[in-house]
Amino acid sequence: MTDELGALTTIFTEFYYWITVVLMFLIHVGFCMYEVGASRYKHHQHTLMKNTMLIPLVTVTWFLFGWWIYWAFPTGPGLAPSIMNESAALITDDSTFSAKWYVPTSDLMAVNLGDHISGVFWAAFLLFSWTAASIVSGAVIERITTFAFGILAIAIGSVFWTIDAAWGWHFDGWMLKILGYHDAYASGVIHAVAGGFALGVLAVLGPRIGKFSSSGEPRNIGPRNPWLVTIGLFLIYTGFWGFYAACNIPIFNLGPEYGMEGVTYFTATNIYVTPTTLSGITMNFLMSLSGGLLAGYVISRGDPFWTYSSGLAGIICASAGNDLYHPIQSMIIGMIGVVIAYKLHYWVERKFKIDDAVGAVAVHGYAGFAGLVICGFVLNGYPSSGYSVGAMWDGSNYAAINPLGMFIGALIMFVVLGFIPGWILAKVLHGMGKLRIPREVELAGLDYEIMEAAKEDEKSVASASR
Amino acid sequence: MATVTNWIEHLSAEKVQGAVYPGVGTEGILVLIAFVIWIGWTVISARQETEKLEKLARKRHGSNDWKNNVTDG
Repeated sequence: MTDELGALTTIFTEFYYWITVVLMFLIHVGFCMYEVGASRYKHHQHTLMKNTMLIPLVTVTWFLFGWWIYWAFPTGPGLAPSIMNESAALITDDSTFSAKWYVPTSDLMAVNLGDHISGVFWAAFLLFSWTAASIVSGAVIERITTFAFGILAIAIGSVFWTIDAAWGWHFDGWMLKILGYHDAYASGVIHAVAGGFALGVLAVLGPRIGKFSSSGEPRNIGPRNPWLVTIGLFLIYTGFWGFYAACNIPIFNLGPEYGMEGVTYFTATNIYVTPTTLSGITMNFLMSLSGGLLAGYVISRGDPFWTYSSGLAGIICASAGNDLYHPIQSMIIGMIGVVIAYKLHYWVERKFKIDDAVGAVAVHGYAGFAGLVICGFVLNGYPSSGYSVGAMWDGSNYAAINPLGMFIGALIMFVVLGFIPGWILAKVLHGMGKLRIPREVELAGLDYEIMEAAKEDEKSVASASR
Repeated sequence: MATVTNWIEHLSAEKVQGAVYPGVGTEGILVLIAFVIWIGWTVISARQETEKLEKLARKRHGSNDWKNNVTDG
């Protein structure tokens, strides 16, 4: 960096993403608090450890191969040619944004005086990965082994979500070109895929002992510490601010980027490099949060657990198009998403005996899916990219956003990259006898021995004379 | 091992080398070590967990026995 303005822009962008990473860390703190608050006393510490250990597991594998997948797979491979090298193969050539630069042996994957952005961008995406894995974590509490969860966390956090991000959350992604897919703040690429994955795992894992009566009626196992749940969800809201900011590119000159001769147009953009403003999405974030809270309060008749979760579901549902929606549209879409998520949660629970302990499939999966479908109607006709506009299925240009493309996109997220891989992996782990803890341990409590040891320690301290 | 031994010389070079971490060129070995740590950790922690779960399962505690272990804080 030799000129001051260029240096300022670079350092600002570096610091911008760094701040988003710090904020997004709060999402994980929130998930940990939320899960512990939702679990029963005898499982608290195991629940906390399970969610905590996904941090190193997903981070290390994200470094080793997750980040490479994101840059290699936008073309499918084989589904639509890259705009960088016009090839539909994996992007591993010398293109500017090739996966070649992000293999773990690359000197850009380290302190490098010539690159101020790769590391913070890597970290921002990594925090999305933690979120995807953490969504699954809540659904399976109190009966999954830490080993199995570790494998599943790596699968969703470092493989399947990053494939969907390459396909539908990348300026060169084939889903934009062929389907007109648009998902600015990740209704599908994080939430629907993680919700679908969790549902696939739950279908194999089975419910907690006692969740259903012998006649199949579901019993309520409510949060044991509603205050911890409350603080957890508030922290997730807080971290979500960082998530939204991290989905943007803070400053970009679109004139030369789009090949417009003589045009200079600096703006913030979304991940697809189409213009939006941090200011506008802030309004939409708050209005969709409000819509979710309003709808959740009414539909759950003031149940705090569902009301807080509904705030989140409201944001998630509106997120696909929150770069362009009017704030009131965001609010209404948030409300619709909550009603769908809440109703579907109880229907699936009764019909299929699915025990989603924290409502993760509903809040993330169903609300995310609904958000994608709604986005297809509300943003129908908008370009999915600024680079070109073409017809659906063509693939050489970018299709416009449309309801059918968004519905197919939602299915790809929730079913193809979410439910099916989750179900298959859970089946394999189940076949190995490694998926679920023994029945006796579930009854006794995963923390039994820790608690017993603490009791013994207390006894010896209490009996001491000095 | 040191990639930089004099910052003035390093930064005034015609083409400044970006990678400044120790042992530039050994990235392959470092990645291999990371893989071994990851897989090794998974194997060891899985074995520990299986032993712990089997031991606890053998004791066949009732679903309310844990209440006897609640400490008074």
